[in-house]
Parts: sequence; structure tokens; C-alpha cells
Amino acid sequence: MSRQDSNSLAVQTFKLTKHFNGLVAVAGIDLEIKKGELFSLLGPNGAGKTTTINMLCCLLKPTSGTAQVMGYDLGKEPFRIKELIGVAPQDIAISEHLNCWENLSLIGKIHGMGAADVSKKSRELLEIVGLLERAKDQVRKFSGGMKRRLSLIMALIHDPQILFLDEPSLGLDPQARRTVWEYIKSLKVKKTILLTTHYMEEADSLSDRIAIIDEGKIVALGTSEELKSRATEKQTMIILAENLNPGVIESLRSKYPVVEQRNEEVLISAKNLNFKEITDYLYSQDITIHSATLKQPTLEDVFIQITGKELRE
Amino acid sequence: MRFLALFTRNFKETYRDLLALVFLLGFPLIFMLLMGLAFGGETTPTFPVGVVDQDKTPVSQAFVSEALAEVKALEISSYDDPQETLKDLKLGDLKAYIIIPQGFGNQVYQNWQGMATNITLNITYDESDIMVTEQVVSIIGATTRSFAKIEVPIMLNSSPIHIETKITYIDFIGPGIIIFGLLILIPNSARAMVGDKEKGFLARLQTTPVRPSEFILGYSLSFVVVAIVQIIIFVVLARLFGMDIVGSPWLALLVFFFTSLCCIGIGMIVSSLTKTVNQAEGFCWFISMPLAMLSGCWFSIELMPSYLRSIAYAFPFAHAIDASRGILTRGVGLGEVSTDVYWLIGWAVVSFAAGIILFRRSMAR
Repeated sequence: MSRQDSNSLAVQTFKLTKHFNGLVAVAGIDLEIKKGELFSLLGPNGAGKTTTINMLCCLLKPTSGTAQVMGYDLGKEPFRIKELIGVAPQDIAISEHLNCWENLSLIGKIHGMGAADVSKKSRELLEIVGLLERAKDQVRKFSGGMKRRLSLIMALIHDPQILFLDEPSLGLDPQARRTVWEYIKSLKVKKTILLTTHYMEEADSLSDRIAIIDEGKIVALGTSEELKSRATEKQTMIILAENLNPGVIESLRSKYPVVEQRNEEVLISAKNLNFKEITDYLYSQDITIHSATLKQPTLEDVFIQITGKELRE
Repeated sequence: MRFLALFTRNFKETYRDLLALVFLLGFPLIFMLLMGLAFGGETTPTFPVGVVDQDKTPVSQAFVSEALAEVKALEISSYDDPQETLKDLKLGDLKAYIIIPQGFGNQVYQNWQGMATNITLNITYDESDIMVTEQVVSIIGATTRSFAKIEVPIMLNSSPIHIETKITYIDFIGPGIIIFGLLILIPNSARAMVGDKEKGFLARLQTTPVRPSEFILGYSLSFVVVAIVQIIIFVVLARLFGMDIVGSPWLALLVFFFTSLCCIGIGMIVSSLTKTVNQAEGFCWFISMPLAMLSGCWFSIELMPSYLRSIAYAFPFAHAIDASRGILTRGVGLGEVSTDVYWLIGWAVVSFAAGIILFRRSMAR
């Protein structure tokens, strides 16, 4: 890799590995995250997402391999890295007997911010996540969603260059989740963001690039479109129709590898499925079609196709 | 000043958590109150003790009539014949009797002249009543020590002997209870840090540029404030219950302060070694209760086997009790308790250093 290339990288990992008592949590990951990129690690619970993030923010020592964050090596200069990053952990980590201002000010002051700076930035962030009105209350009285929003902005108070967000919308109601997503989107380009999630919609709608991670390994990497186009090699059509007869089903089965019938619904899967060809054939057999759709592939399909597992149990 | 930001946060967490605060100050307070009510003031138990003076010197006579007779907890009656006292002890009329052997006066006199000499007293007691025996022996020991330390004019006969200390049970038990109250700083300080560890808050702070020493300082400082408040409450309460403060109160406060630093330091070590609040609390009670007993919070450790006493003196708390009893009841100065104070300072420094090292180790696993 040329020098210019490594300057444009925010995070670069080299065979990053973590074992816990002989159990492999992360199995030699090589990742490159560009500056200003929003990069998602998508995978089921226990895939190694949090372990990866914890190593990158210097909470865990890699068993082998290493990584550079903003050009600093994990093992050699952890405190330089800690000055540049903002972390919102998966566990809601806030100080229960403090109010919002005090929680934010703690992190701000640790990063050497002045009181005036902290208060200005706090007001701005509290406003965005809708906590300004309750900001003077001790946070132990807050709902789970409110706590998570506070936990998120505590990662931002000191204006970090890189943000690590571990499951940022876990446990949020749909409305709050949308607010958080909008805010994360507004940070794009300005900051490098690494987020982990097991919600495919989250990864899909926010990320520049996605790494699908399973059993400690990266099994697929690319933009959302690139990943889905892999899955589109095999298309699925769903048809809702009346008076389907066994003869029609039989003749469909002779043409396409997968044909499933459930009452009035027929599901057809094949490579390069021709929508018109199928509907024309059904019309020619006097079948009344109520609806016919070509199923759009989702990241979930990509995941199932690659790992043979569901993303969420 | 990152540790100041941490200290402010930890202090707020402590005083805003009402339940924890009640436990922190209330538990030792109740203990102190009960001990004070049980042993303080007018309800001081009195023990009938017989005395046979075989020395018959002015010093031994003064010891009986001025020193022993002034101790409220003792009801002294003089005997001539040791056989008589033994009979009364067997009948239960006496709890113990003292035989002052020949040479006692000379031994005490040499101490007064600045020559440290062992003093021999023969005490016979009814060992079926363990608690009483323990107290009587401790009180007689303390009274003798205090008697032997007093400076008197050389012409003994011509001047009355003025005894400054009238040792009551609260004088004896007070310093021990204060140290015991400080010992519960161990579980309390450990809980604060482990609680943050358990909830993931510590992990968040560990992704910030806070250094291990700043963590330890930030957490322990808030407990230093708590400790100072505790010490003031304890000393004032003990005073109200009749504990005499003969020596320098500042020196006593200093001893208590270093003791609390040792407790907080040990708490920091425990919190680095444990993962949950339950683990930490169990661990802390497991060490602090035996330590309280071994160090002599509730009774004198002079009757313990010597190997147990060696163990006790390896820890800081027996030193703290010795030093504070000496200062409060006998009025000794820094010179006499310097060894004990060095032990306390040593333990405080070592436990804080160990706390920082262990914390650094636990930081990057």
C-alpha cells in the first residue's frame, strides 16, 4: 500500500484476532475504513462485532494482529487514539445520579474542554436528540430510549474524529430510531463512523460500505448495492392467483428449479427469472392473477445466502 | 485536571445515592450508638477486684489507692491473705484479684526515671466469664501502663500523685470502634468502582484518555471526603459518650486519616480484582471482619497467641488501634506512636500503588 493510501485511512486492521479462553471471537480480520466513511459491521449477536470495536477503542488487547486508528498503533499509542475517538458502547453507560449536563460535562472535561465550550456543545446536542427539556433531571429516572440517546451524544461532546457506535439504536422505539438515524446521517463525511448493528435496515439506510461478519470472520464486504446484486443472481417471484390447478403447477415445475405452492400463492425461484414470460403463461392457462411481484433482495437474503443462517433468531 | 472531573462525578454519585449514604454513615453510626449506650456513661459495668499488696512500698500503695481505686469499672477491696481472695473468687464475690509482688514499686520507679523495665503483676481471674475477664485484664493492664508513665517529683512521699486518666470502658473501646467504622470504607469504596465496572460505565471512561492513576485518584478522593466526615462524627459521638481525649486530638485525627487511606487503598485493590458488586462486597466483608477482630477493635489482643499477634501487626489496623488508644487514653505523643504511624503510611502508599498497578493491568485485557 502506498503512503498516500494509508493517509486516507481512518482505520486499518491487520489480521486482528481475539480469543477468549480458547474461544475464537474475532478470527483475523483485515479491514480498511476510509476517512469520512460510514462503515457498518452487520452480523447476528455473538458474531464478533462488539469485540472488534472494543479492540479498536483500546478496551481489549488483541490476541494477535494489530490495527491502526488515525495512523496510531493500538498497542503502542493507545492514549493518542483515545484522544481522537468517541465511543457509544452497547451497554447504556451513563452516570445514573447525574443529570444530562453533568454527564456530558464529565466526558467533555476529561477531553480537556472548557466549561463554556462544554455547555454550548451540550445544548446543541441535547436539542438535536430532544432531551433539552429534561436535561436537569437525574438520568436514573429516564426511559431506556432517553438513556440511549444521552449515551449516544456523550460520544460526540468532544467532537471526535472517529465515532464508534455499538448498536446505536438498540431498544429505541421506531420514532426515536428515525431521529437517531437522521442525526447519524447528518454526521456523514464530517466524521468517520464505524457502527455495528444487527438491524439490516439500519446498515442498509446509513452505510457507505457494509461488512457482513459471522463467527468472527468477514464473509462479505461492499456497498449495500454490491452485496444485494450478489443475491439477485437468484430471483424470487410471488404470485397470488385464483383457480390454480395441478397441471399448471406441474408445468411450472418442469421449467423452474424451485416452485412452491401455498393455497393461492405460488413462489417461483430461479436465476434470471422472466416476469412477463410467467404472467403470459398463466394468462394463457386462464388463471386469474390478483398480484405478481418480483421480490427485491434484502441484506437479510444476502446474509442467508452466504451463511445459511437467519440474521435474527 | 481529569481526576478532578472524575472526583466531582464520583462525589455526586455518592451523596446523591441516599440509600448508599445511609449505609455509609448510618451503619457505623448505629454501631457507635449501640456501643456507646451499652458501655458508655453511667452504665459502666463494675467488677469487684481484690488486691493483695506484697510490695508495701509507697508506690504500690499509691497504685492501689490512687490508680486502681479511680477506675470506675473496678470495685477494689484490699486483702492481706491470698488464700482469702482465692476463696472469694471461688464464691463469685470477686471477678479477679491482683497480687502486687515485691519489687513492683521499684520497677515502676525505674520507668518513671526513664529506664524501661518490665512490670510484673499477678492477676488471677475467673475464666468462666470470658468477656468480663477480658475486660478486667485489659483495664488493669491499661491502668498500670498509664500509672507507670506518669512523671512525678522525686520526693514521692511529699507530693500527692495526680492521675490524669480514669480509664473507663468507653475509653478502651472507643478507638477500636472508630477503627471498625473506618474499616467499612473497604467494602464501600470497592463498591463504587466495581459498580461502574458492572454497568459498563468504567468501560466507557476507559475509551477516554483518563490514566490509571487518575482513575484511582478520582475514585478514592471522593471517599477521602466521606472518611473525613465519618471521623469527625465518630470522634464527636465517642466524646459525647464519655471517651476522654487526653493526648493531641489532631494527632489522633491524623492516625484515623491514614487508617482511612489504607482502607480506601485496599478497597481499590479489591475492585481491581473483582467483576461484580456482589463479588466485591463478599470479598471485602470476608477480609474486613476478621481484620477487625484480629486487630482488636472489640477487645485487647494482648491475650492472643503470639503468632496471631504477629499476623495482626502485619496489617495496619492493630497499629492504628494501638496508636489511637495511646494518644486518646494515655496522652502519648508522636514520638511514641511513630512506628505505628509509619506502618499506616507505608500501607497507604503500598495499597494505592498496588491499586494503580492492578487497575492498569485490568485496563487492557
